[in-house]
Amino acid sequence: MQDKQFMKEMLTDGAHAYKEGRMDRRTFLALCGASGVALSAVMAGDAEAAADHVVMWNWGGQSEECHGSAIGDAFTASTGKGLKFDTSGPLEGKIKEMVDSGNVTADVADADLFNAVSLGPTGHLEPIDYSVVSKDKTLPGYALEYGVSVILYGYAFVYDTEAYGDNPPQNWADFFDTAKFPGMRSLYKWANGSLEAALMADGVAGDALYPLDMDRALAKIKSIKEDSLYWGSGSEAHSMCVNGEVTMGMIWQNRGRNIENDTDGRFKLVNNQAMAMPGAYIVPKGNPAGAAVMQFIATAQEVPAQLALLDCLGMTPSNPAAFGEIPEDQQDYAITSAKNIDKIVYNDPEWWGENGGDAVNAFLEAIS
Amino acid sequence: MHALRKHIHPGWLIIAPLLVLVVALYLGPILNILWLSVTDPEPGFGNYAKLGESDALLRILWTTVRICIITTMFSVTLGYSIAYAMVHCHQRQKNYMLTLLLVSFWISILVRTFSWLMLLGRKGLVNVTLEDIGLIAEPIAFMRNEFGVLIGMIHYMIPYAVLPLLVSMQALDKRVMDASSNLGATGAQTFWRIYLPLTTPGLVASTLLVFILSLGFYVTPAVLGGGKVLMVAEYISVQLLVTLKWGTAAMLAALMLFGVLAMLWIMSRFMKLSTVFGGAAR
Repeated sequence: MQDKQFMKEMLTDGAHAYKEGRMDRRTFLALCGASGVALSAVMAGDAEAAADHVVMWNWGGQSEECHGSAIGDAFTASTGKGLKFDTSGPLEGKIKEMVDSGNVTADVADADLFNAVSLGPTGHLEPIDYSVVSKDKTLPGYALEYGVSVILYGYAFVYDTEAYGDNPPQNWADFFDTAKFPGMRSLYKWANGSLEAALMADGVAGDALYPLDMDRALAKIKSIKEDSLYWGSGSEAHSMCVNGEVTMGMIWQNRGRNIENDTDGRFKLVNNQAMAMPGAYIVPKGNPAGAAVMQFIATAQEVPAQLALLDCLGMTPSNPAAFGEIPEDQQDYAITSAKNIDKIVYNDPEWWGENGGDAVNAFLEAIS
Repeated sequence: MHALRKHIHPGWLIIAPLLVLVVALYLGPILNILWLSVTDPEPGFGNYAKLGESDALLRILWTTVRICIITTMFSVTLGYSIAYAMVHCHQRQKNYMLTLLLVSFWISILVRTFSWLMLLGRKGLVNVTLEDIGLIAEPIAFMRNEFGVLIGMIHYMIPYAVLPLLVSMQALDKRVMDASSNLGATGAQTFWRIYLPLTTPGLVASTLLVFILSLGFYVTPAVLGGGKVLMVAEYISVQLLVTLKWGTAAMLAALMLFGVLAMLWIMSRFMKLSTVFGGAAR
């Protein structure tokens, strides 16, 4: 891991030196070879292209492959620039640390829109250039000064059909009703979605959630604490359901599909009152590729890229022009599909950006 | 005194580069953390004052200390019997035991943590077997609670407890015990009055090692605690990465550091710590 990071930094430095003429082509190619980089561009002897790329900071795994095929290929075709990845996970603290250290190695982070609200005003992000990126190609309110929502993910829940055969749970009120629906539940550990679900279960309307009434939400969370487990990652949430540890689980809706498949339909996804979360692209201040990254973001907004991300990662389009083109087999799982769009609620990134830190701590304190 | 200084002087020159490295790469960041704890978000002792204001922080610290104490007690007790058995069995069996011990020592903490879930989870091997043979009607909640965290941590810590004890027991002069029984002491008397006191340095070393390492546990409580067992390491990580309250994180880290130093200081009142860390007992 450390070595990978070191290689990456060495190569980035090398590429810059090469571009500025401080390093000759032969040395740069040798460097690429030594660090095991076998870019097609380098193989072809076109080191210029290797030095000219955008680095995407994401969570790795499948998303590396999917971001490459859904956005990277089109971006390379139109600009001639490549796409590289840093897969160490752009948590807010890591972005802040990277910018503060002055050694910015990523151009665009696959983050949450609320990160744009909390990190933007403190000088850790580049503003989005809306002459290149379009405000109309995302949902209203999700194109902010320091970040733009490119995909949506959602907090929905799955339930065990064998536990609640004839009378399945249909909304968050049922999810929090342990008398009518006995069994263990799992909720997201870092408060997002869990707080909103608790409020909706307590009778707050989906469009009147913000500002969140923390006391009320936490009281509801605590009321089912004895019957709850909390997950910190998608795979953990997944295994809690598949291994039969819970009979109902809050889940990212693309994970919900995997759980349905892995349990041969024993678990079923409920999208009613699911919360749409704006996943956003944000740009660390002083990013190495400069303004070129805006074209990358613009590419990701296009309908083909949006649909490809849905197909590959299960991330729902945020560009309204793509809503109508969501294919039939994705209708149940895409949060903005015609089938779901009237049933969902929307996350408020402004509230989370301003109050998220305190909310997460209050939540952790309530569940521990 | 003069001879001592003459003796030490060139040595300092040789270790000077190392000393500089340690100061630059180790002491520097630590001072930075301490500095952060009194400057972020604003100068003063506001972060430390939070300890008095917030029950939650105290509860997290108490959970951490409680779990660490229980873990240490069990790991060291179990470790002591394992080490004792290893020293007193045949060489062949000792080698088997040492191999098993080292294998579990080398297996990644993640693998060991998730193995416990497979064994003791709700639908794990143990629960399913017990249900199949009709001993229990409902699965026993071994995991996803504090009990689960303790199982995982004690299991992980036993090799750390055994190794210092093993060294200390192997260094004992067996003739002392022979002399004791020769003078008419029973086996129990020899153990309590001769063997145990002579292995105290090893006992203290493994207690310290296990307790200090336990304080920093992150993965095991996060996975086996089901989100409900919040220990200080995980809380610090959340403050650094998610909520950006670096001052709180630094304050808790500083507290841990001073806690450990204070513990070592108190120990040093009662015994020579150098014997614990392998020095001569003079």
